Amino acid sequence: MSVLDDLFRRVPALLMARRNLSRNRIRSGLAVLGIIIGVLAIASLGMFGTTLRTGASQQLGDIGNEISVSPNFQEGIEELTERDVDEIRRAVTDGAVVPVRSESRLVSRGDRQTVTTVYGMENPGALYEAEQGRIPDRLRQGALVGSGTAGLLDVEPGNTISVDGRTYRVAAVLAEQGGISLVSPNNAVIVPVEDVNGTGYSQVVVSADSGQAANESAVAIREALNEREQRVSVFELQSITAGINEFFGILNAFLIGIGSISLVVAGVSILNVMLMSTIERRQEIGVLRAVGVQRGDVIRMILAEAGLLGVAGGVIGAILAVGAGVALNAFVLNDPLATFQAANLLYIVLAVGFGVGTSVLSGLYPAWKAANERPVEALRK
Amino acid sequence: MNHIIELQRVWKRYDTGGEVVEALKDVDFHADPGEFVAVMGPSGSGKSTMLNVLGLLDTPTEGTVYLDGQDVTDLSDREMTVHRKRFIGFIFQSFHLIPTLSALENVEMPTLFGDDPTARDRATHLLERVGLGERLDHRPDQLSGGQKQRVAIARALINEPRILLADEPTGNLDRKTGRSVLDLFDEIRREDDVAVIAVTHDPQLGDYADRTVELIDGRIQ
Ligand SMILES: Nc1ncnc2c1ncn2[C@@H]1O[C@H](COP(=O)(O)OP(=O)(O)OP(=O)(O)O)[C@@H](O)[C@H]1O
Ligand SMILES: [Mg+2]
Repeated sequence: MSVLDDLFRRVPALLMARRNLSRNRIRSGLAVLGIIIGVLAIASLGMFGTTLRTGASQQLGDIGNEISVSPNFQEGIEELTERDVDEIRRAVTDGAVVPVRSESRLVSRGDRQTVTTVYGMENPGALYEAEQGRIPDRLRQGALVGSGTAGLLDVEPGNTISVDGRTYRVAAVLAEQGGISLVSPNNAVIVPVEDVNGTGYSQVVVSADSGQAANESAVAIREALNEREQRVSVFELQSITAGINEFFGILNAFLIGIGSISLVVAGVSILNVMLMSTIERRQEIGVLRAVGVQRGDVIRMILAEAGLLGVAGGVIGAILAVGAGVALNAFVLNDPLATFQAANLLYIVLAVGFGVGTSVLSGLYPAWKAANERPVEALRK
Repeated sequence: MNHIIELQRVWKRYDTGGEVVEALKDVDFHADPGEFVAVMGPSGSGKSTMLNVLGLLDTPTEGTVYLDGQDVTDLSDREMTVHRKRFIGFIFQSFHLIPTLSALENVEMPTLFGDDPTARDRATHLLERVGLGERLDHRPDQLSGGQKQRVAIARALINEPRILLADEPTGNLDRKTGRSVLDLFDEIRREDDVAVIAVTHDPQLGDYADRTVELIDGRIQ
């Protein structure tokens, strides 16, 4: 209490402002409510954007780290040769190279059977994780079964399945891959690469350690293989993630734009409130001026009023926004703590700053008007 | 020249869309420290206008205003405000207290914007002096008319002015309360050597004034 008294003694404009606001609590309350809604709108829409982005990148996983090299059909190249794979291995300094062969085959276990994609890979461990069982470093015998196919055929590690009449022991059932993937294992069976017909490869997947490394590898592969003729086309998933990031950037700006409109409306309501209250207090302000209060002090007093409305609205709005963010993230991401990240803090600071700024700006005209009225005029009834 | 305030050949004209109203016509006026001057006259004769010019709230159309020997006719708004604060105390017919502030805060109000560490003590003393030592924390709506006017007088005195300007100070008070206010004026100008200039319709004010100036139709009679 004494801290507040001290503050009021030092900044009398604040004391006067606070008293004036408490004069018509309902009106001040409604003005604050406008700011609360505006700040809440900006902050929570901004945080909503962050949540969407986080959710999307969880879905996408690490695909930005992968590139796919496939034969360039337009040039009449049907498959990648061992030589191509060697060149790719040389070009990639930082990451695993997984040549892939694929075809569709009948897969069965007991009396259950299904036609699925069969991939031949030597080192699938670079791309997948096992749900049950273990993925060997080199796949020389046995098969890995994608989660979807495993469900269909009701297999678990240790069972045997037959692929086009050939029997395999199942080494592992793969974890379901939720996101987008270059070579989705979910409805596939993976067998040793020699077991799939053919000598070349239908594609080579490179799994790098980072998006940057993936990008560098892509450049190096293009240089090595496409120098004389366009042998391969290189597809970087990073281009998708970059596009998605850009999209979310635009979405966020759009959401915040919508929020800002509500803040502008709140600003107009503060302008209205301040204008009405200064007109009502015309005589009082005339008295202040008569007893020796300078114009600048009158302006400061009214701006302090507008500022207090803005600060009150901003603080309450920020608290509500954090609450809304926690609820949203708990619901969408199952992780309420995801609210407390730098981007969201920025949105909250931005929203509160906008709120206070809008209020003070809205106070300018009424303040200027009140301060410039001649006290003689104000004191006449 | 020891007039604390003086008007020389002051004219005040209002241009009200075509018709020009002459509210003050060639007015010469002065007051000395400790003097109590009553300004009387019919409604619309220019009394309030003259008081506003004396109080540096308004500037004359023609003529000169001297405050403590200094020509203050053409000062900027800022300088006029500084002079009002230093030299002049205002008392209004309808008191004009700030409803959100306590009696004590109302008295302090003219000192609020500015570093003035002794203001609170002075305000307390002044309220005690006008007999409101028990009412420091009351808000204006908890005070009677006479008490409000005494708060207003205390407020007018907070900066130790040389001139007290009062526009119908007893106009909203009954006879007896009016008398107590006038007694207070009398005490102030005696003890503090303040010039009191009061506009009034109240005949009992004549008993207190050293001198009565009569304004009719903008001219001093
Ligand atoms: N701002 C103004 N614009 C136009 N005319 C004005 C203005 N102020 C005062 N007047 C005119 O000047 C004249 C003097 O007014 P003033 O208020 O000084 O009278 P007064 O003697 O104080 O009257 P009352 O006893 O009713 O208060 C009046 O005719 C009034 O209409
Ligand atoms: Mg008058």
